[in-house]
Amino acid sequence: MNGRRLVIALAGNANVGKSVIFNYLTRLHQHIGNWPGKTVEKAEGTLHFKGYTIDVVDLPGIYSLSTYSIEESISRRFIAVDKPDVVINVIDASVLERNLFFTLQLMELETPMVIALNQMDVASRKGIQIDVEKLEEILGVPVVPTIAVKGVGIFKLLEKAVEIFEGKLSAKPKPVKYGEEVEQRIERIAEAVRDSGLPYPARYVAIKLLEGDREIQEEVEKADPQAAALARRLGEELEKLHGHSCPTLITSERYQAANCIAREVQRLIPPVKPTLGEKLHNVTTHRVAGYLVMAATLLSMFLFVFAVGNILSEFLSSLLYGLKPFFEGFFGTGFLAQLFWGGVVEGLIAGATIALPYVIPFYLVLYFLEDSGYLSRIAFLMDSIMHRMGLHGKAFIPLLLGYGCNVPACLGCRIMETQRERLIAAFVTTLVPCAARTVIILGLVGRFIGIQWALVLYVFDLLIIFLLGRLAFKILPGEPTGLIMEMPDYRLPHLRTVLSQTWFRLLEFLKIAFPLIIVSTLTVKLLEALGMLSFFTSLLAPVTVGWLGLPVETGVTLLFGVLRKELALIMLTTLLGTTDLSQALTPVQMTVFTIVSMFYIPCVATIATLVMEFGWRKALVITVSEVFLALVLGGLALRILVLTGLR
Amino acid sequence: MSTTVETGGREVPLAMLRDGETGIVVSVKSGYGGAWGLKKRLMDMGITPGTRITVVKSAPFHGPMEILVRGYRLAIGRGMAERIFVRVEETQAGCRES
Repeated sequence: MNGRRLVIALAGNANVGKSVIFNYLTRLHQHIGNWPGKTVEKAEGTLHFKGYTIDVVDLPGIYSLSTYSIEESISRRFIAVDKPDVVINVIDASVLERNLFFTLQLMELETPMVIALNQMDVASRKGIQIDVEKLEEILGVPVVPTIAVKGVGIFKLLEKAVEIFEGKLSAKPKPVKYGEEVEQRIERIAEAVRDSGLPYPARYVAIKLLEGDREIQEEVEKADPQAAALARRLGEELEKLHGHSCPTLITSERYQAANCIAREVQRLIPPVKPTLGEKLHNVTTHRVAGYLVMAATLLSMFLFVFAVGNILSEFLSSLLYGLKPFFEGFFGTGFLAQLFWGGVVEGLIAGATIALPYVIPFYLVLYFLEDSGYLSRIAFLMDSIMHRMGLHGKAFIPLLLGYGCNVPACLGCRIMETQRERLIAAFVTTLVPCAARTVIILGLVGRFIGIQWALVLYVFDLLIIFLLGRLAFKILPGEPTGLIMEMPDYRLPHLRTVLSQTWFRLLEFLKIAFPLIIVSTLTVKLLEALGMLSFFTSLLAPVTVGWLGLPVETGVTLLFGVLRKELALIMLTTLLGTTDLSQALTPVQMTVFTIVSMFYIPCVATIATLVMEFGWRKALVITVSEVFLALVLGGLALRILVLTGLR
Repeated sequence: MSTTVETGGREVPLAMLRDGETGIVVSVKSGYGGAWGLKKRLMDMGITPGTRITVVKSAPFHGPMEILVRGYRLAIGRGMAERIFVRVEETQAGCRES
């Protein structure tokens, strides 16, 4: 191989087809992970083109290069500090003005760039015609019209990017000229910060200082307090002059520039009749019909995930457990062989039969909903309800998914904007009784006490979720964020992109979850084999017997329940020696046991997901506080139920 | 505070507008205690003074508003809409919005 490498970054707004271009470029050579220490996805891939090995980095979809969100500051740092050789700025031709606002900021970063003017087909359907050459001339940056979903223009885009890199194409970006008064002050500040050693161009630093960017302000303050003071003083002058705050002024003027460019290059011939997408939008956000459509969609999505999940799960488990005779034929049934089977292989099977079958269809559905644009309509409809627990509309999706399986639900929390909201959403999501916990609720309380009491428990759970959601919202520091969300035009999701997104995120999940599942399964099995399990249950006796009033055997089931929740019930019948649990447990004991199982700990796969999304510390805090919560609620329930005269 | 746009009419929070009404942004207030991250975000989405905004509809139960701004569809929560002050347009004089 020749060593010619080149790094290309894809940058642009959300919903512009960036990931379609990314998938088109990199196909199966992708790696999806997180940015170091952040809950922000990092997609990287490689391709070979004209003798180059090109690394492509897909930056998160953002609307500005301020530091409002983690995504924005990650993108900015990457472009300014890691300096990709070329940035491909993907813009949506059908929403040119807002996209150009971002483009103008990229140009201020003075990075070598090419513009992919994407969704040309959507634009022309909306009656928008764009003069590409004129746009190119005004911006001073090469512009390539593309229709990513059909692969149109991608080759040319890549060609231009390489030409820029090789210096064959001289791009001279013509950055925004602000108003006279602003421009003078930008120059003075830029002069002052030129030697401050910041990784950004001086003019960019000057603009961001006036724009009130916290991160840059702090950096300049450290490097050159005098320059920072000058910027503050000149900013105040501008505020007096214009009557608006300085950030407002700069943002307005940049938008003004974007507006002028857009007006100059596009011709509008609005279609007479509304498009199908518009009709769909009206129905799906209607105050009555919208909710009906949502209920139907979510129900079918739920059924799809669990129907597919169940089939896959049963298939995999019969297949994998069927391997046991072969395994024993090969390794025998000695102590180590049994430990290996019980600990490692069954751990793998548990992971493969619980998590995988549900994670795959879940990802498919989620990306389908997201790429089509429907997710934002659901968030629109559910916003006011979710607001009551301090979250906004998007959090409804993970919460609902939690009833199936907490693992995909926690992964779904990524759709929230800020780290704080992700954490609150994940926390309440793990309190939602998943399918395995439903087995306990229905199989114990529902079957032996009455289905109405099972329903009471569900309502109780919802109540706790709302209360704790509010509490978490109050405790965790940070500005409560309201909904500010683009509702993009509906479109048909690009199948290959959805499939590839599913596949690569699945790989990432396997890498994190499986080791943890195996280690914990092995530990429990080892304890069991060494006969130490009874030691632990007697250790737990003060809690299980003393506080919760349960038979001592339940200690073991609660321990195993960490691995697989639905196992708890099966084990209970084995340990108590009867399938008619009403003979071994009183109704109160059943209720307490069910309440504890509902809340006490997310299963090991969920914990693994929490670790992957939020790191060890936060995962631990959530886990421990939920164990504590379960015990408190269980003990209280026992005492209240006994007080009311039940036994 | 002077504004660049002279349209006449009343100046109200965007949240007060009825479905189908159009207003021109006069100012965007920052959050409680001067927290202006959200204000900046609103402006980054194109809601700057002088911008024309049309309210398309509001979600029930005091839910978010769907607005048209700079040729695209944006959903913003009630709390956000309370902070955006607009001057209501009395006459239809649209030049850009379709």
